[in-house]
Amino acid sequence: MSSNELMALNEGFPEVIEEFLEHEPTMKCVAFNRRGTLLAAGCNDGSCVIWDFETRGIAKELRDDECSSPITSVCWSRSGNRILVSAVDRSLTLWDVMSGTRTTRIFLLQTPLQVSFCPSSSNSSLCLVCPVSCTPMIVDLNNGNTTLLKISVLEKSNGLNHAASRNKGPGGTPFTPAAACFNKHGNLIYLGNSKGKILVIDGKDGEVRAMVHVSDSVVKNVVFSRNGQYLLTNSYERIIRIYENLLPLKDEIKALDELDENQKDLHGIEKLNVVGSKCLTLIRGFKDSVTKVHWKVPCFSRDGEWVVGGSASKYEHKIYIWNREGSLVRILEGPNETLLDLAWHPVRPIIVSVSVTGVVYIWAKHYTEYWSALSPDFTDIDVNEDLVEEEDEFDLNPRTKVKISDVDEDEEVDIMKVEKDTTFSDSDMSQEELCYLPTIPIPDPPEPQVPEQQVPEPIIQEQQVQEPQDKILEFSSNLVDNNKSDSPLSEIAKPNIDDAEGTRCKRMRKPSQKMLELQEQKAKKTSKVKKKPLAEETSDDADAGAEGTQIKRGQKPSKKDKGKEPQV
Amino acid sequence: MATSTNSSNSSQPYKPYRHLKTLTAHNLAVSCVKFSNDGTLLASGSLDKTLIIWSSATLSLLHRLTGHSEGISDIAWSSDSHYVCSASDDRTLRIWDANTGDCVKILRGHTHIVFCVNFNPQSNYIVSGSFDETVRVWEVKTGKCIHVIKAHDMPVTSVHFNRDGSLIVSGSHDGSCKIWDTNAGALLKTLIDDKLPAVSFARFSPNGKFILVATLNNTLKLWNYATGKFLKIYSGHENKVYCVTSTFSVTNGRYIVSGSEDRCVYLWDLQMRNLIQKLEGHTDTVIAVSCHPRENKIASAGLDGDRTVRIWVQDS
Repeated sequence: MSSNELMALNEGFPEVIEEFLEHEPTMKCVAFNRRGTLLAAGCNDGSCVIWDFETRGIAKELRDDECSSPITSVCWSRSGNRILVSAVDRSLTLWDVMSGTRTTRIFLLQTPLQVSFCPSSSNSSLCLVCPVSCTPMIVDLNNGNTTLLKISVLEKSNGLNHAASRNKGPGGTPFTPAAACFNKHGNLIYLGNSKGKILVIDGKDGEVRAMVHVSDSVVKNVVFSRNGQYLLTNSYERIIRIYENLLPLKDEIKALDELDENQKDLHGIEKLNVVGSKCLTLIRGFKDSVTKVHWKVPCFSRDGEWVVGGSASKYEHKIYIWNREGSLVRILEGPNETLLDLAWHPVRPIIVSVSVTGVVYIWAKHYTEYWSALSPDFTDIDVNEDLVEEEDEFDLNPRTKVKISDVDEDEEVDIMKVEKDTTFSDSDMSQEELCYLPTIPIPDPPEPQVPEQQVPEPIIQEQQVQEPQDKILEFSSNLVDNNKSDSPLSEIAKPNIDDAEGTRCKRMRKPSQKMLELQEQKAKKTSKVKKKPLAEETSDDADAGAEGTQIKRGQKPSKKDKGKEPQV
Repeated sequence: MATSTNSSNSSQPYKPYRHLKTLTAHNLAVSCVKFSNDGTLLASGSLDKTLIIWSSATLSLLHRLTGHSEGISDIAWSSDSHYVCSASDDRTLRIWDANTGDCVKILRGHTHIVFCVNFNPQSNYIVSGSFDETVRVWEVKTGKCIHVIKAHDMPVTSVHFNRDGSLIVSGSHDGSCKIWDTNAGALLKTLIDDKLPAVSFARFSPNGKFILVATLNNTLKLWNYATGKFLKIYSGHENKVYCVTSTFSVTNGRYIVSGSEDRCVYLWDLQMRNLIQKLEGHTDTVIAVSCHPRENKIASAGLDGDRTVRIWVQDS
C-alpha cells in the first residue's frame, strides 16, 4: 500500500554515492538544519555556504571580510534561524540565516574545535565550545562571558586554574582536548575527558553530578542520539561505545537529586561513580578488529537505529554502519580522500560526508522500482502464489466484474486535519521555524529584439548594438537547443551550476534494464503517435467520454502542430 | 462553528453565494483563474495569449502580462504570491513577477502544448504536464528541468503537488491517475488504470491525504490514495469534453466546487454529497473555479462564448 511505500522511502541506510557538491572555496564541515531541508557547510575562507538540500543548489552564502580563516565547526539553532560558526582565528560568529547578516562575533583565547547551541529555549544564547587546548566552556553569546567546565573531579573549580590548565592537564601531561555535548533538553552536559571518564555536569551551576568510567584511554567524541536515549563515545583505543541513557528525558536534574538522596552515605568520587552507573549503562562497543582503524565523527542515524563511524585513516574515505545489535551492516567506501566530517540526514536515509579535497558526497539508497505501482491491482507478495483461474477466465463473454465499493459513502472524511509528524518531537519553539529559504528565479537574459525596419543608425552605434545582440542570440539558441546548457547568467552560483550540471547526470537514477526496454518501446510508440493528427488518435475510443479532440480548454490544437517533428 | 455529527457544515442555514461582479477583459476564452495564496491577487489566463492580474479586493485590473505566442491553458501561484507561472500552447512555461508584471524566466523543453502547471509548497520546484505525454519537474531558481517523466500514453491533463511537495499526482486522457515521488521522479502508485473514462483533473486535498479526481463521464470522485478506494462521488454536473477544474472550499464549511459544461458552477456538500447550489450567469462552459483562501469568495472562468471571470460571494 502506498503509505508503506512512502514510509519505506525513509527507512534503511544509504548504499551508494548519489551526487556530490563542490564549491570554491573548499568546504570543511557540514551540518543539517533540524528538518534536513538545508545543509550548512563551513569553508576554508571563513565563509559558510547554505545549500538547499532538495534542489542541491546554493541558497545563501554567509561571509564577511573580517573572518577569513578556515571554519572548524557549524551549528544550527533549533528553529533554524541562526547559525553559529567557529573558526581557526579563535572567533565564534553568530549569523542570522534569513538576512545573511552577522549578529555577533566573539573572540576566545583558544581555537574552538566544536560548537553547539544549548537546546533549551530558555538559554538560547548559551553555547558549548570545545577548544583545542583548554577545557570545554559555556559561552554566553549575548555578552561573551565564558564559564569553564570541570574536566576532572580532582580539580577545584576556580578561575585560577584557567591559566594553569591552559597547556597542561592535571598531572602536568600535555593537554588533550575534551569532548562534550548537551543532552536532549540542554540541562546537562556530558563531558568525556582524557582519563576515559564521562562527567555528567549540571548546566546551570557546573557541578559534576555523576561520573562514568568508559575506558582507560582518551575520550575523543561524545554524541547523543536525536531522541536523547542513546549516547555514543569514541575512545582513543579505537572503540565506539553505545550507552543507554537511564535518566528521564525531562526532569533529569530532579532524578539526579533523587539518586543523590539515595546515596547519602557515600561521598566524593565513590558517590559520583554510583550515581553515574544509574545514568548510563553500556550496551556494547563497536570496533574493527581486522584493520584496527581509528574512528572519527561517530553519529547516529535519524531514529538511532544505526550507528555510524567514519574511518580516521588518511587517504581513506570509509564509513561504517552498524545496527544497534552490533552487526556491521555496511561499509561505504568512497574515493581515496581523507574523511573530514560526516552527518546523517534528520529524516531520510542519506549520509553526507566531507572529504579533504573539499567535496561533499551525498550517499543514498539504491533506486528500486515499485512494480506494484504500475497498476492499482498489483500488490507486492513475498511468497510465490499459484494462480487460481476464475470460472469464466476463458469465456468469450466473461461476467462483467463490477467493482463494488465497500466503503460507506456517508462516513465523514476529513480533508483538513494534518497528523503531527512524529519524526520531530513537540517543540517549545519561541520563534517560527525556518525550513526553507525563498527561491528567487535567476532572470533570463533579455530576448533578442525583432529588428525593426528603421533607418539604420550611424555605423558606430550600429556595431555596438550588433554585438550584444549576437551574444543574446547565442544565449537564447543555447536555451532552445539544449536544456542542459550552462546558464550564462549565474552570478553568485556560477561554480555551482557548472557542477550541478555534471552532477545532474549523477542525480538521474539509472533505470534497470527492463525499464530501459520498456521506455524504448514507449518512445517508439509515442513517436508514431505524434505524427498522426490528434483527431485520428482518438477515433478508436468508441465510448462517450473520449470523443474529445476538444480536450483542450476550448480550442482544438492548431493544424500546424500536427505535422511537426517532435523535438528530441 | 458548531460541532457536527454527520455533516461538517454547521446547523446554521446555508447562505447562498451571489454574483458580485463580472470581469470582462479577455478577448478570447478564459482558460484558467486562480487566487494567490495570500488572497490579495487573482490571476486569469486566456487563449488570447495574455494573463491578467487583478486585485482581489477591488477587482480592478493591475497588470496584463503579454509575451506568450500562443494561448495559455493554466497558471499557478508561488507560495509567497510573488510569482505566477503560466503554461502555454507555445510549448513553454513562463514565470512572471506578479508585482512588476515582468517575465522573469522561460522554461523550455516540452515538445508539445503545455497544459497544466503547479508550484510546490516550498516553491523551489514547478511541475508541468503536456500534450507530449510527459510530466516535467523544473527547478525555479535556475529554470533547469530536473525530471522528464514519461508519465502517460496520452496528453497529461492535470498535475499537482501534495502538502509537503514530496508527491505529484498526474491525471491523463489515457484514463490513468498516477502518483510520483518528486525526488526520484519515480512512480509510486497507479490510482486508476482504466482506459475510460479519461481523467480530466486531479488534485490533492489540503491535508494531502485524499485526491479529488474528475473524469469525463460527468463524475467527481474523492479517493483515499493510501487505500486506493474512492470515498465519495459527486455528480449532477456536465463534464464530457473539457478539462473542467474543481476545488475544495474550506472557508465556511466543507464543499466541493466545480465548473460544468452546462454553464453553471456547482457546489456540493463534501460529506453528504448533495448538491447545495448552482451558480448561474456564465454564457458558456465554466472551465475553471478558484476559492479565496480566507474569504467566502469564488472566482469562475467561462469559455469562448462568455470570456469573462465572474466573482461570487457569500453574504456574512
